[in-house]
Amino acid sequence: MATYRERPGPFEYSRKLSMQAIFAASAIFLYAPIIVLIVYSFNDSRRGGNVVWRGFTTDYYVKAFNNSELMIAFGNSITIAVVSTIFSVVLGALTAVALWRFRFPLKPVYEGMVALPIVIPEICMGVSLAMFFAYSGWSVPAEAPWPLNLTNITIAHITFSFPFAAMVIRTRLANFNREMEEAAKDLGATEYQVFRDILLPHMKPGLIAGGLLAFTLSLDDFVITFFTSGPNTVTFPIKVYSMVRFSVTPEINAASTVLILLTLVLTAVAMRLQSFGGSSK
Amino acid sequence: MTTKPIISIRNLSKRFGSVAALDNVSLDIMPGEFFALLGPSGCGKSTLLRTIAGFESPTEGELLLDGTNMVKLPPNKRPVNMVFQSYAVFPHMSVAKNVAYGLQLQGTPAGDIKTRVSEALAQVHLSGYEERMPDQLSGGQRQRVALARALVKKPRVLLLDEPLSALDAKLRHAMRLELVKLQQTVGVTFIMVTHDQSEALAVADRIAVLESGRLRQVSSPAGLYLQPCDAFVADFIGSVNMFEVASVADRDGKVAVRTAEFGEMLFPADAVPAAHGVAKDLVVAIRPEKIRILLEPPADGEARARGRLGDVAFQGDSSIVEVLLESGRTISAYVHQADATRLMAAKTGADVWCSWGVSDMLVLPRIAR
Repeated sequence: MATYRERPGPFEYSRKLSMQAIFAASAIFLYAPIIVLIVYSFNDSRRGGNVVWRGFTTDYYVKAFNNSELMIAFGNSITIAVVSTIFSVVLGALTAVALWRFRFPLKPVYEGMVALPIVIPEICMGVSLAMFFAYSGWSVPAEAPWPLNLTNITIAHITFSFPFAAMVIRTRLANFNREMEEAAKDLGATEYQVFRDILLPHMKPGLIAGGLLAFTLSLDDFVITFFTSGPNTVTFPIKVYSMVRFSVTPEINAASTVLILLTLVLTAVAMRLQSFGGSSK
Repeated sequence: MTTKPIISIRNLSKRFGSVAALDNVSLDIMPGEFFALLGPSGCGKSTLLRTIAGFESPTEGELLLDGTNMVKLPPNKRPVNMVFQSYAVFPHMSVAKNVAYGLQLQGTPAGDIKTRVSEALAQVHLSGYEERMPDQLSGGQRQRVALARALVKKPRVLLLDEPLSALDAKLRHAMRLELVKLQQTVGVTFIMVTHDQSEALAVADRIAVLESGRLRQVSSPAGLYLQPCDAFVADFIGSVNMFEVASVADRDGKVAVRTAEFGEMLFPADAVPAAHGVAKDLVVAIRPEKIRILLEPPADGEARARGRLGDVAFQGDSSIVEVLLESGRTISAYVHQADATRLMAAKTGADVWCSWGVSDMLVLPRIAR
């Protein structure tokens, strides 16, 4: 009846209690707050912070959707995110290709400068951008018609999100087989055709991942937006912040749930698109 | 030969900084030939192939295709196609799209593309794989896609860069024969780069041996093996025993070559490179299969050497027998199995005689200039 069981390896978390505990704790800390937030968006209570469950209702979703200020802020956020994503991906792709493909003087300096916005504290970037817009006189007034009044925030968002896109795309480019480019040229492709038919399809997963990153970075940015927004240009995070200062209601929970859902759907779509992009070979 | 060369390389040099990858190479390749560029790694053979494809531009010299200079033409305008070492099959395109790509670029009508793609895939035995994606193919199949993709454009010359190096040994041997058959069916001139001499000998009509960017010899496989131009080629193609020459002297219209191991041997005057009267620039070479190993002194009039039996390596149908000569040098011989068994009966260290015909020996310059 002697059955021998191998001792579990150090990282075999399926068989080690301590590992399972760490795993469970991580999962709880990651997801429990979000689940609570979603659950309490359906709580029939006047206070969102109220831990007492008073019955199921979707009233707060209706209320959130009828809150015109919140909806305007939501619309602003989506608009800024879409525009800054498009710019970030294009600029990021160009930067990545330039850094990957060419050698030029001061290239390491340029590389460092591109990576700088990633490491600079957001607060410093926020202040510097606010000062830049104030002193340059270039800034678009907040009274300008929508969506032009969002220009300053959008520019600020592009500034901090395109380096992320560039990084992601450059990583993707690093495993491009240069013989592929030569093979296409050998078959008669011009430089432009090589880019369109061979390099761009190879970059696609990186473009999608970079775009997704830029989109979520822009959507939930608070600090930099706070410094570059005016009273007429409120974004969703800033609106939620001001609402929370006033009072925490399930309305905020409801609005946040919608936002979470939106990002989940976007991520799913992006991943689906990526799987059509072919393998990374 | 009265036919004009399809590719004519004239005094081609390519320097990377101070390093010469190609040093004044001149070479003619005939239409319909299966030509191999052979040499150790770093000899410039790949640079030469990439120069023909247009990926490297020569520092000096001319590259003529059908009599017109191609040096200034970019790779996408040259009527040559290449099979890359990594195959470089486009991973996001199906097999059919990969093969069709080159035709689409040149604006072939869709109907023609379809028939030509299926023709090309049939040639490389990949019919029925049209809709597969490259990651669903084996290495050998991917190579066939690369072949079809290049051949479908009906190139004047097909360039192959180490096409068999990424395949396993068995597939490599099968693909050798298949490449030869394919070349005979399509009738296109093939230029193949390889570092594997047995591969070049097996597939090519003619072989160019390169070393340090210089062309050493261009010849048929048999020509290279039987009449190598210098010690490097003799050593690179097959195996060979080489011995230094102590002195050379004219004797009654013949040339007497003396080596420490074998004494003086008389060669006809035309068998000794004329420009190399200096003994230290010469070697004598003898292929292992020409040597007989005897247990008693051989008959007169043959080249001979006395030694002691060394290691015997079993090879199946034959054995490689090493004999330690009195000078301290080792000579190796291929011995048929029946003879090898007899030799092995004698113990290692036994006195033996090596013998061969003087006409089987080659007197070679160390470096042909």
